[in-house]
This record gives sequence, C-alpha cells and structure tokens, in this order.
Amino acid sequence: MNETAIVTLKALAYLALVLFASPLLEGVMRKVKAIVHSRKGPPITQPYLDLAKLLIKEDVVSEPGPVARFAPPAAFACVLASAFFVPFGVSAPAGSAGDLFVFIYLVTLSTSCVMAAGLAQSSPFSHLGSSREMMMLISAEAVIVISLLGVAVGGHGALLSGLAVSGFRWSSLVGLCCYVLAMQALLGKLPFDIPEAEQELMEGPFIEYSGPSLALFKWTFYMKQLVFGSLFFNLFIGWPRVAGGSVAGALLNFAVNFVAVLVLSLVVVLIDATNPRLRIDQSLRFFGGLAGVAALGVGLAALGW
Amino acid sequence: MSESSALLSTLGSHLGAKLLESFQLDASGALVATVAASDLRDVALFIHEGLDARFVISVGTDCRPMGQGFRVDHIFSQDRRRTWMVLRAFTGADDPKVPSITPVVRAAAWAEREFQDLLGIEAVGHPDPRRLVLADDWPAALHPLRRDVPYDIHPEPAVGQAPPLASPPGNAMTVPIGPFFPVLEEPVFLKVFADGEEVVGLDYRGFFSHRGIEKLGDSKLTYNEVPFLAERICGICGFVHSTAYAQALENAVGAEVPLRARYIRSVVLELERIHSHLLWLGIAGHILGFDTVLMQTWRMREPVMWLMERITGNRKSYGMNLVGGVRRDIPKDEHPEIVRVIQRIEKEWLKIIEAVVEDTPLLMRLSKVGVLSALDARELGSVGPTARGSNRPIDVRIDHPYAAYDRIPVHGVWKDTCDAAGRTLVRLEETLESIRQVKQLLAEMPDGPIMHTFDEALPPGREGISAVEAPRGEVIHYVMTGEDARPYRWRVRAPTYANLQALAASLQGMRIADVPITLGSMDPCFSCTERMQVVDVRSGAVRVYSPGELREMARAGLGRGGAR
Repeated sequence: MNETAIVTLKALAYLALVLFASPLLEGVMRKVKAIVHSRKGPPITQPYLDLAKLLIKEDVVSEPGPVARFAPPAAFACVLASAFFVPFGVSAPAGSAGDLFVFIYLVTLSTSCVMAAGLAQSSPFSHLGSSREMMMLISAEAVIVISLLGVAVGGHGALLSGLAVSGFRWSSLVGLCCYVLAMQALLGKLPFDIPEAEQELMEGPFIEYSGPSLALFKWTFYMKQLVFGSLFFNLFIGWPRVAGGSVAGALLNFAVNFVAVLVLSLVVVLIDATNPRLRIDQSLRFFGGLAGVAALGVGLAALGW
Repeated sequence: MSESSALLSTLGSHLGAKLLESFQLDASGALVATVAASDLRDVALFIHEGLDARFVISVGTDCRPMGQGFRVDHIFSQDRRRTWMVLRAFTGADDPKVPSITPVVRAAAWAEREFQDLLGIEAVGHPDPRRLVLADDWPAALHPLRRDVPYDIHPEPAVGQAPPLASPPGNAMTVPIGPFFPVLEEPVFLKVFADGEEVVGLDYRGFFSHRGIEKLGDSKLTYNEVPFLAERICGICGFVHSTAYAQALENAVGAEVPLRARYIRSVVLELERIHSHLLWLGIAGHILGFDTVLMQTWRMREPVMWLMERITGNRKSYGMNLVGGVRRDIPKDEHPEIVRVIQRIEKEWLKIIEAVVEDTPLLMRLSKVGVLSALDARELGSVGPTARGSNRPIDVRIDHPYAAYDRIPVHGVWKDTCDAAGRTLVRLEETLESIRQVKQLLAEMPDGPIMHTFDEALPPGREGISAVEAPRGEVIHYVMTGEDARPYRWRVRAPTYANLQALAASLQGMRIADVPITLGSMDPCFSCTERMQVVDVRSGAVRVYSPGELREMARAGLGRGGAR
C-alpha cells in the first residue's frame, strides 16, 4: 500500500472511532457511576439513544442568530479535527501536518465556541456559565498546555506523534499528575463541572440549547473524553504497545489504546462520583497552584530529566 | 407554675397601669398580657429586650362575632423559663389597625404582613407592608380569614395587586432563582441580584399556593378531623403538625393524655426526624453535585420508611394522632424490629459522619457559607438546626417539654461556626441522639391506655398553645375552641416560615454558587403554585402573567422562540 492509502484508511478509522466509539465511553462511565450510587443505571448504549433522540428533535432557539446557529457545529468540528493530530496508539493521520500548537488552538477554539454560544443567549445563567467557562479556560486549560509543553521540551519536538514514543522521564510524571487533574475540568466532570453546574446554573451555557444543537455539544464532550484520554495515554504512559510496523500490530495498538482510555475513564468517573462541586474561586486557586507545579515539570524537562 | 407567676409579677411591676389584664392561657402555663393597642410597641420591646424573650408568631383573630373587634396576639417564648408569653391587644371592628412591632422586633415582619393580608388588620409603621401571603390576583379588600368570608369563595381575579419586587442595585444583574429551579423541590421565587458572582441583594416572593388550611380548620372540619389535615401540611414531617395541633387543644381544655400515648408520639416523632435528616443530607449532597451522597442516604432511608409503614400503616401521613392520644399502639413485639432497623442506620451513620468530617472538598463548600450570626439568628427568629448551627441553644424538647420528653434526657446539639457546615453537623449528630432516644423510649414505654376519654363536649372559647421540635425546627400551633366541635381559630407556624426570614442576611456577600446550598442548609419546606412571573433581564422589567393570560397563550400555542 502506498503512503496516501495508509493515511486515508487511518483517517477513516480515526473518524469512525472518534464519532461512534466515544458515546460508548460515556455509557460505561454512567454505568460505573450508577454502581457507585448503588443504582442499576441505564444501559451502556444510552448515550447513543440520547444523541439519536436529540438529533431528530426540533431545534428550539430562543435567541436566533448566526452565533447560536453555528457555535454548536463549530465546537463539534474543532474537537473532531483535533483528534487527527493525536496519536491513538498509532501515529496520527494528520500527525505531520500540524503540531502540539495546532491541537491546542483547535481545543481552545472549541471551548471558545461554547462560551460564545452561551453569550449569544440572554439568560443570566447562560452568561454566568460562559464567564465561568472563560475562567476555566484560562486556568485548567492553561495547566494542560503547560504539561504538554513539558513533554515537548523533554522530547525535543512539537509533533504529537513524534513525542508519543519518547520514553519515561521524571518530568513526565509531574506533567501526568497535572494533566489528569486538569482533564477532569476540561471534560466537565466533578469537582470541576463549574460552568455547567446543573444545581446552580442549570447547565450554564447550554441552558437555551435543545435538539440537534444540544446533541452536538454533548457529542463534543464525548469526543473530548476519547481525544484527551488518548493524548494522556500516548504522551505520558505509552504502555503496553506492540512493537513493529505490521498492519496487525498497528490495529492491535489502536485497540489497546481504546481499552486504555476506557480504563482511564474509570479514574475520571470515580473522581467525579466522590467529590462535590467546587466554587469557581476555589478552583481558580487550585489550578493556579497546579500551573506552578506544571511549570516546574517544564523546568525539569529543560534540565533533561 | 411558679415560673409563670414570677414572670407575671415582673410584668405587673414593670408595666404598671399599662397592663390591662393578665391571666394564664392554658394548661402549659402560657401567660397572656393584654395591653392597649397603642402600647403594643413599647411592651413588645420590653418583652423582647428586657425579658430576653424570643418572638415566635403573631395571631390575628376576628372576634367581631363576640363583640370584641379584632384581636392581635404576639406570641413570645421565654426559653429559659420554659414559658410562652402572649402579648394581646384589641382593635376596633371598623378600620382595624395596630402599631407595627417590626421596628423593634425584626422577627415579626412576616407575621404582621400575614395578618394584614388575611384579616385586614393594618400594621401601622411596618417597614415593608407589601402583600405576603395572598395571591397576585386576589382582590385587595377581601380578607379571607375574616369570619364573614366563606371558605369556598372564588373571587373574580383582580389585576395590579402583585407586590412590586425590588430592582437590582446599580449595575447588578438579576439572577432569577425559581419559581421552579432544579434543586428547589417546591416553588419559591428568589430574585437574586449579583455583581459578577457575588450576591449583593435579594427579594423574595413565595406562598405561591397558600392552601387556606387554617380557614378549612376554622370553618369546615371538626376537632378530630383537623389532625388528618394538619398532617398534610408537610410532605415529609407531617406528624409534627398533627401532634402540635392535638397538644394545643389538649392544653386548651386541660386534657390528661395517657403516658403510653405520649411515649408513642415521641417514638414516631424521633423516627420521623431520622428519616427527614437522612433525606436532607441527600438533598444537600445533590445541591453540591455530590449525587453519591444523595443515592446512598436515600438507600439508607428506605428501611425507616418501611418501618413506619409497619407500625403506622403508612410511609407518610401516619394518621396516628387524635385529640387526647393516639389511634394505634406500638405493641411490644414490634420493638425488636424497630431497634434492629435503627441500629443498622446508626452503624452506617457513624461512617457517614466520619466521611463528612474528613471530606476536605465538602467542607470547603460548607464552611463560611451562608453565615448567620448568633445575633441575627435571635433577632430574625431562626429555629431548629438553623438556629443551633448558629450557636443558639434552643430546642423545644428541652425548652418546652411535650410528649415524653420530660421523662427522658434530651441532649441538645449546637455548633458555634454559624455557617452551613455548622447546620450540617447539628443534623448529623442530632440523628444519633434521636436513635438513642428511640431506644430509650421503647425500653421504658409504660403499659396503659393510649387514648384519653372525653366525658363531655369541649367548652368553647378556650385557648391553647403547643410547640413541637420538628426536624426543621419549632412548629407552633395555636388553637381557640369554638362552637359545633370545631376550632374558632387555628394558627400554624411551620419552622421554615421563621428560618426563611434569615435567608437575606445569610446570603449577603456570598457567591451565586452558594445560594442553593445556603437555602438548602436551612432545609426549607414550601408549597405548590399555579402562576408564574417572567423577568426580562435586559430591561429589568417584571411582567406578571395572569392565569387567564397564560391559559390564552397556552391555547394559542407558543410559537418557536415565543416563550418570552
């Protein structure tokens, strides 16, 4: 097979996995949460049914306008696109076309779309949610960026696929801890689901959205779980991985990656189920401190540790 | 009652000629001091400050059929002396008005607005005389608790009667919490003003479905039907209401309730407190997004509900109380099962207390949140765990013993942190105390009858007051007997009525994120609605749709995006 065919096949596999396997992660997480609650819980296919239901419903818009119209698909597209720069046990299909920074831009753009979507509405809950989203962006997302920078500095490169294979370093361990905690916030999980805060803001930026628009937002978050999970697994753990460049080996690595992300989701949901929601000021202080630790990790990486 | 006679002489010597009449109201030793309406404010100030009495509630009564015009009673509690004090004044049948005592007793604010609404007795000089209880479409001149207004009246909906709500100060944003909100189980409207995330002000509109229960009791039901209605005042702790009503009437006529019935009442009351506190902890967890707490505490609560069904026949609304005793015995062979269930709860509860005390994120969300100083708690009349979390050592079971609480020790729990964490710990530890009490009550329960037999009809014109320590705080019932075996006047004050008035004080300077848990930490209990209010946030204009308009809109069908 020539290079183009491989990249095309890989891209298709990525597309299928990100779009159609990500709700499964959510379904498993809900099931685990139910078990922690002593509940039976919904079937693990429930997120698919949720999406299907929302997608065929009427899109009721309370403040029509271009932002309200295009923010949901834009947020969705950004995260979907970002996946193509992330190694999923195999090198990313667009891995050589864009580096770490392209990935960060796309993810930030997606969060900004959510913020804009909230600000386009007139509900005060929506505005409060968006302003909290902004604060989470400059705190939690900053921690993610700094810990990724640490990996880039340590691995002497910015292409995510190239960084994926570099071995264990002490700085990675620091980055790993910071990344996991900040990821909780980016995935909208407790104790950091502050922008949506059902009991305070009734889903914040999403309060006015329904039907397909809401489905796209939900799907965006499901995909984020897979993308950020894979990034974590490939950049900070990188094990177990089958050596060799055979097609079977690549497929196996691809599958192992998904299983690893599934296991990581269990950690995410256990943190989610055993914590109350923090206040935005408390979380800002927390991530402020964490950013310092992550910066220390970058320093260690620069020293070659 | 040496305490009350001592109090009587203090009052007499201080008030001199101002004291027109004083007598003992009922078998509990409650004291009545009648003064001229014009002296109300001065005397209220003396009772509140000089005698260090806590304001409880006001009762307005239409005494025109007896030729006495309207009567206003301000009920105070002398917690240290275990005595109720009633400050009484009469006002004319035409144009009834009394001076407001709210300027000197802040806790009286709602009580005075209520008799202004329901009886049309004007509280002159009230700092906030807006409509409180009546619906927005209720005519202005129609006061439903007057004797000449029938209980089943359906007046034409009036317009322009809605009380104006405050506007946001400066550039503050309005955050409309309610009338329906995810963590409010019942409708209430809190118009919260926020500057960014900080709460800078608040206005309140509630009583969305005042059910007119007192009016029904005064005009339609007989003495022994009222307990069943009273039990339905609250959807969680109804037994406290039927107990308080029955006790008030028993106090009024001096009926001796058999000891076994008093023990049974205490057992059911404490079991109710256990399941109510379990329910509360779950809701508090849910408010903070901690649904594991909700699911686990409600799982723990279920066996208590089954237990209640087993001993009373119902999970809720037990139908156990009648005037003079209880209808159902708790036979000896049921006792081991009760003990088994509560012992299992005790074991799990100890673990929960340990988990809460060690849970740093949870304490971060509760400490220094919803701060209510001990002074504010006293001035605003807070009761129950809300007051006890603010270092106020008040508990009806200790201050005004009823049922079997004079037979067993009651260990009060109070905390000095004055915040949501304090209120949480009070409830956590109180539950253990309730479990201990149930065990002791069952072990010591004497044999004997469970119902007092009344030889003759209850005399009219007798009055009684009784309080019960509900899970949410002090429940007060006042009853005046009447003709035809039904109350002439029945007044209920639920604990949330007292606690909600402290909400504005405890929310000042908090963050938006703290509003739900501050409200939740008071364990509020509201009622049901059929109207709605729409606030346009950009202009701050408030538009209230009448039920008629809403029906029209519903029929016309709300177009896309037309819900504004």
